[in-house]
Amino acid sequence: MKKLVTGERIVKSYGKGAERRVVLDGVSVDIHEGEFVAVMGPSGSGKSTLLHALSGMDTIDEGKVIFGGRELTSASEKELAEIRRTQMGFVFQQPTMLRNLNLLDNIILPALRDHRKHGTDLVARARMLMKRAGISELEQRDITQVSGGQLQRAGICRALMNRPRIVFGDEPTGALNSRASQEIMSLFAEVNAEGTAVMLVTHDARVAAWAERVLFMRDGRIVSELALSRRDGTGMEARVEQVARKMIELNV
Amino acid sequence: MYFRLIRQDIVRSKAISLITTLFVAASALLVSLAAILIVHLTGSLDALMTEAKAPHYMQMHAGDLDVARLEAFAARNHNIEALQVVPFLNIDGARISIGEHTLADSVQDNGLSVQNGQFDFLLDLDGKVVAPSDGELYVPVSYMKPYQLEIGDQAYIGGRPFVVAGFLRDAAMNSSLAGSKRFLVSDRDFEALKPLGNMEYLIEFRLKDPSRLGELEQAYLAAGLEMNGPTVTHALFRLMNAISDGLMIGVLLLVSLLVVAIAFMCIRFTLLAKLEDDYREIGVMKAIGLRLSDIKKIYLAKYAAIAAVGAALGYALSFAFQGMLLRNIRLFMGGGEHAALATAAGAFGILLVFASITTYVNRVLNRCRKISAVEALRFGTSPDTAGGSRWFTLSGNRWLSANILLGVKDVFSRRKLYATMLAVLVLSTFILIVPQNLYHTISSRNFIGHMGIGNYDLRIQVPGSVDQVADKVAGIAETLGDDPAVSRMAVLVTKAFTAITKDGTEQNIKVELGDHKIFPIAYVTGQAPARNDDIALSSILADELGASVGDALTLLVAGGEKVMTVTGIYSDITNGGKTAKATFPTDAKDMLWTVICVKLAEPSLVEVRVREYAGKFAYAKISDIDEFVAQTFGSTIASVQTASRVAIVVAVALAVLVTLLFMKMLVAKDRYPIAVMKAFGYTHADIEVQYLSRTLLVLIIGMALGTLLANTLGELLAGMVIASFGAAAFHFSVDPMSAYVFSPILMTGSVLLAAWAGISGAGRIRISDNIKE
Repeated sequence: MKKLVTGERIVKSYGKGAERRVVLDGVSVDIHEGEFVAVMGPSGSGKSTLLHALSGMDTIDEGKVIFGGRELTSASEKELAEIRRTQMGFVFQQPTMLRNLNLLDNIILPALRDHRKHGTDLVARARMLMKRAGISELEQRDITQVSGGQLQRAGICRALMNRPRIVFGDEPTGALNSRASQEIMSLFAEVNAEGTAVMLVTHDARVAAWAERVLFMRDGRIVSELALSRRDGTGMEARVEQVARKMIELNV
Repeated sequence: MYFRLIRQDIVRSKAISLITTLFVAASALLVSLAAILIVHLTGSLDALMTEAKAPHYMQMHAGDLDVARLEAFAARNHNIEALQVVPFLNIDGARISIGEHTLADSVQDNGLSVQNGQFDFLLDLDGKVVAPSDGELYVPVSYMKPYQLEIGDQAYIGGRPFVVAGFLRDAAMNSSLAGSKRFLVSDRDFEALKPLGNMEYLIEFRLKDPSRLGELEQAYLAAGLEMNGPTVTHALFRLMNAISDGLMIGVLLLVSLLVVAIAFMCIRFTLLAKLEDDYREIGVMKAIGLRLSDIKKIYLAKYAAIAAVGAALGYALSFAFQGMLLRNIRLFMGGGEHAALATAAGAFGILLVFASITTYVNRVLNRCRKISAVEALRFGTSPDTAGGSRWFTLSGNRWLSANILLGVKDVFSRRKLYATMLAVLVLSTFILIVPQNLYHTISSRNFIGHMGIGNYDLRIQVPGSVDQVADKVAGIAETLGDDPAVSRMAVLVTKAFTAITKDGTEQNIKVELGDHKIFPIAYVTGQAPARNDDIALSSILADELGASVGDALTLLVAGGEKVMTVTGIYSDITNGGKTAKATFPTDAKDMLWTVICVKLAEPSLVEVRVREYAGKFAYAKISDIDEFVAQTFGSTIASVQTASRVAIVVAVALAVLVTLLFMKMLVAKDRYPIAVMKAFGYTHADIEVQYLSRTLLVLIIGMALGTLLANTLGELLAGMVIASFGAAAFHFSVDPMSAYVFSPILMTGSVLLAAWAGISGAGRIRISDNIKE
């Protein structure tokens, strides 16, 4: 399989002098086209920072990040924004919606900037995505008028607006109850099944079990990796157990 | 702990804290100055009124007078401490010249007095009661600056030479509102000049108990004593003396109010943004049982610190500036010893500013009360900030570019937030346009018609003091008649007459006699005089005489009474705006001056003819009409021009400063949505376009409203200013290039630049810092 994102010996630290804290300590990682990867680890292990580094949202101190053959570490702010806009999608733990826009407007936001260049009918695409996510009837609602699970589904629709090559999810189910989080995960699985790569950061073994590869982090390093079989909709229990056993083994 | 919190917070928002402090300092400066001025004004005024022993009651009277009867009245009335009848020799301004100026165009009734014996003393600039020697003249202090007079200047009154020996503080007539001005001369000079003017009398009383002034007024009226002229009381003297500096104090207070409002805006904005940021923390503090007052203290501390620093700075500055503003009070009323009290008053002023700011912050902080601990912990954001305009959605709009769309949308969905900025921009536009329109109006050629000047090219003025003036005027008229370049001309003779109004009071008025149909002027109502007993009045004179079109007005002409009919009222700025026009024939005797108006067939010849006639008629003043307007109205036009330039600077500075501040605050407040936009691939340039479109939208609405206000309310205000010079029926004549092209371009350019500078901080907003997991 072709590599989509490559991180080479990434070092990232916060603070200076005696207070300097190394968050990523020479991490190297590859994510392939269409792959579903989960990153697990305790708080402060550097998993969110890794996601920010791989998506070009944050700068790194040392090392290299290559996305689709292009080096992000040397790209300009404009180039980075363009890559994020056209090739990446993001889903955060909090809904990160703009308060003065309704749900539909929030979803079309990433696509709005270029829509005339591409001539796409973005409202039609947004409605199609919302229908698939089961939230079509909510399009004119304010973001305070819908539930957390519905907001997160809208967040996924927003991430998919520009047909990205990869969707990054930073604890996308962290604020949801277990039923809502299973619904979100099946939506991610659907997206992945259509060929979009997915990289999720999570604490939850039941979320990580949806992935085909799980990376375990501690103290800024990837300490282990677990390959799961390609998902076929059955045997979820067994996959969760596999992930959980590994977590206990590694004490993460 | 507070100190550490304050320092941290201020370091995090340096620019905004600094600007807020500056606004507080500016308002403290203005309030403190106003307080200091009030103390000095009242103190100096009291000192002047006391030292000069200003009369408690003064009745002016023109005409004969029965002194014995007045003395009998005073003897009967136990409250009267002293009576004094002061002669005032009213002399036409044209007969008084000091230095290089005559008082011909003075609006005031000028006259001579001698020093009084008992009270109502005329003081020199050292506050001493002066007694001039023969040949010495003391000049009212209000003429010192406008005519640039100095001690030792040569003066002539009706040809009699004087030397300016000093300047007078006159408790009764200092103010330009007083209408009369007293010059002080020796008894002998006064006697010698008596034939030159009209004698009037000031009947003055000092009372034992000034609070029972009302009774005296009643008694005076009931006794049927002399009262052909205005009555002035002690309180009115005070008011007239206080009014010009009082107006300045009023303007200072008004401006400081505006500045305080801007400071409030800054504070409200930063504070609300901070509260929104700290929504969850406040919830936590509440949940762990901190009282509301404890929570408020944390926020109050910072603004108390800012208010304290700003107020102290403003207070210090007010001492540096006070000398400049006190100059006028010191000159007109003398500097009293009020330094300690003024310092205290200034301190009280800044305490007031400090108190109002802390009170305001405290009120804004009451919002903390509404934050529910549970909601804050569950949602982490305040629920009432969401929502927007329903009718304006991104999905429903297909023709605006994404960034402009987002910018416009934001303005509509957060209308309250942008209202303050809009208000400032409306105000700036108003300040920018009104003085400019006023200047353009009064400097335009069309305005001459409103100034009492007909449409002619040349103006030849022959003073009445020239020997054999009638022959000389006839000679000029003959020469002009033979000049083929002259197409029309009119000879207008100005003389002074006594007018008797409906209620029997007498007043000296200047009447211009001749044919007024040759060069017609604009009439506010009615028309030019045509028959021998017609008279037209300037609007200020008509107001003063209480006359309107169709009324009768009696003139004393050649010893007899002549009943005239008022046929028209016109605007006039010449001769202080108080003139009249009539057509009845007259001779050259006692003529003040003659003006010959000339229209040339070929206007390009004006310059040549001015030079030619100036050589030929050395005793006459020959000017082309533009020059004449410049001379009579030039200083007013120049000061309006200066004012309009200052207004441009003030308006642009205000708009720039507030926009800069507003944008900085907005970016600080909007860190989160900016980070979201960036995460989804919007560049810094995109964000800039969004914020610039917000600014531009608010600016366009602001400029439209401001221009509209300028042409309605502004025109009304400017009309009031203009009417005080004598030109009624005022309408703006707008220079469209300047008002509707250059001003908007200037405003747009500077505001957009300020906005651009204000949003530069958005580039430093990092996505990962602001989208917290």
